[in-house]
Amino acid sequence: MKPPVFQYHDPTSVEEALELLADHAPEAKVLAGGQSLLPLLNLRLARPSRLVDINRLDALDYLVEDGGWLRVGARVRQRRVERDAGVRRFVPLLAEAIRYVGHPQIRNRGTVCGSLAHADPAAELPAVAVALGALMVARNRFGLREIPAEEFFTGPLSSALQPDELLVEARFPRSPTGWGWAFLEVSNRHGDYALCAVAAGVRVEADSVREARLAYAGVGPVPVRLREAELALVQEERLEEALRAVAEEARRGLHPEGDIHASSAFRRHLAAVLTVRAARLAWERARAGGHHA
Amino acid sequence: MKIEGTQTLHAPRDRVWALLNDPHALASCTPGLQELRPVGPEEFEAVLSIGIAAVRGTYKGRLRITERTPPERYAVQVEGSSSAGFVRAQGVLELEDHGPETEVRWSGDVQVGGALTIGSRMIPGIARMLASQFFQCLERKLQEAS
Amino acid sequence: MREPTRTVHLEVNGRPYTLTLPVRKTLADVLREDLHLTGTHVGCEQGVCGACTVWLDGEPVRSCLLLAVQADGHSVTTVEALGTVESLHPVQQAFWDNHGLQCGFCTPGILMTVVAFLRENPQPSREEIREALAGHLCRCTGYHNIVRAVEDAAHRLVSRT
Repeated sequence: MKPPVFQYHDPTSVEEALELLADHAPEAKVLAGGQSLLPLLNLRLARPSRLVDINRLDALDYLVEDGGWLRVGARVRQRRVERDAGVRRFVPLLAEAIRYVGHPQIRNRGTVCGSLAHADPAAELPAVAVALGALMVARNRFGLREIPAEEFFTGPLSSALQPDELLVEARFPRSPTGWGWAFLEVSNRHGDYALCAVAAGVRVEADSVREARLAYAGVGPVPVRLREAELALVQEERLEEALRAVAEEARRGLHPEGDIHASSAFRRHLAAVLTVRAARLAWERARAGGHHA
Repeated sequence: MKIEGTQTLHAPRDRVWALLNDPHALASCTPGLQELRPVGPEEFEAVLSIGIAAVRGTYKGRLRITERTPPERYAVQVEGSSSAGFVRAQGVLELEDHGPETEVRWSGDVQVGGALTIGSRMIPGIARMLASQFFQCLERKLQEAS
Repeated sequence: MREPTRTVHLEVNGRPYTLTLPVRKTLADVLREDLHLTGTHVGCEQGVCGACTVWLDGEPVRSCLLLAVQADGHSVTTVEALGTVESLHPVQQAFWDNHGLQCGFCTPGILMTVVAFLRENPQPSREEIREALAGHLCRCTGYHNIVRAVEDAAHRLVSRT
């Protein structure tokens, strides 16, 4: 057997799960979709003494639009979000990006909250969360707290989540009117982690960009939001000039590490090219009323 | 994998140099360090426990100072292994005198082997995170002492 | 530490099983070692190669990334349920006819993905087929014939209905 020996718990109530985490943190690990944890167990890179499987927590199996927010419970699998017509209207960036997460076989098990809690710097959903200003809802046995996405990701595979906390929900804001969004990625094969991915959003008025959001995966130790590049998009009246300026800012503002998959220079080049393509696509979509082709 | 960075510490170079040569300070500021035992004039045995997400490992290894040029530069060689694989690194620290401040330039060349190679794309980021924790701790010690 | 075990109830290819298993055993290993359903292949054991793909409640998943205890109370379908030697499933027949398998190691996982994929998208473009296959590695690099086999399988399934 590949995984090391561990004690296994599959609580049926959130309270019970939180008690287990409180009693056994940090040696206990949460098992959600398992699509990142199981490889680590099979390789024996991770040797937690206990797993707290949250797959029987029916209370966290909700995907609802609530006021201005899409609330995604910890048990919601990526595939469900991908197939949900409401998500495509409500948070189109999330719907578009989620198709890049692994493969259908992975998304059938993997959860949105699990991917966020795992905090892989090359993963798509953390970049989406940062681009949108999503809120991470963490709970321990004493209560709840909300963590803005930009404060949540603290390093590679590291987050603000404490060992006794469970990420019970991710909250994505509804796309306001006038905005268009686009997610683009380059990876070695479809479904691999991003060599570079860009999440872009723009609000367009009279053909000019008035507000912008740009966030990146794969080019830093955490998902990176690039405010200078957002500003560059807004400052130029004409789209073509704005795109030239934003490419320059992306090249200047990002400092990716090189590895066996791609050099630092290549990643930076990808970032600039993808920024232009994604910003243009988001602009076209904003003018078309936020609808994706 | 080559990794480098710079860090400004708010103290004169002589004080930073002294701190960087104080085994007690090093031991308390190195993230996850559990033991640091001198085994020779410029050689230490170390036990380090590092946990990144679910990957927690106890690394046993040796640290050797291969070059020491007071008060501006030293070079170290580190070798360690755990059940997850091995890590080898050569590192250089250079201290630049900026009056009341010191700029520390650090660089390293890291090799990993075993199952750890699976996560090699994260290692520069993780090294940077640990380095930043290390320097923040040194900075606190410098401020406490002054 | 003593090996923690648990008794689970699985439905595999329509048959109920009650098994007492180490909690750390993956579904892939239980299928192969305890149920002797060796059609499910185990390649990378880290979710990359796709050889171990089975259906959990009708949806393709990596059986190497699922603990068998997590399948407790669920239904599992493996490649053994697709067809028989005498009567191959149309997708299996299309792979045979188009030389879509060479050494055959990756084939069971690909079949499980393709049958589910064509159920959801009966007339896919070549681009969509390639995307659907991206989660599988064929180290004989026989991808051209695999894509052709999927196209052919789609035609067969559509004309059958």
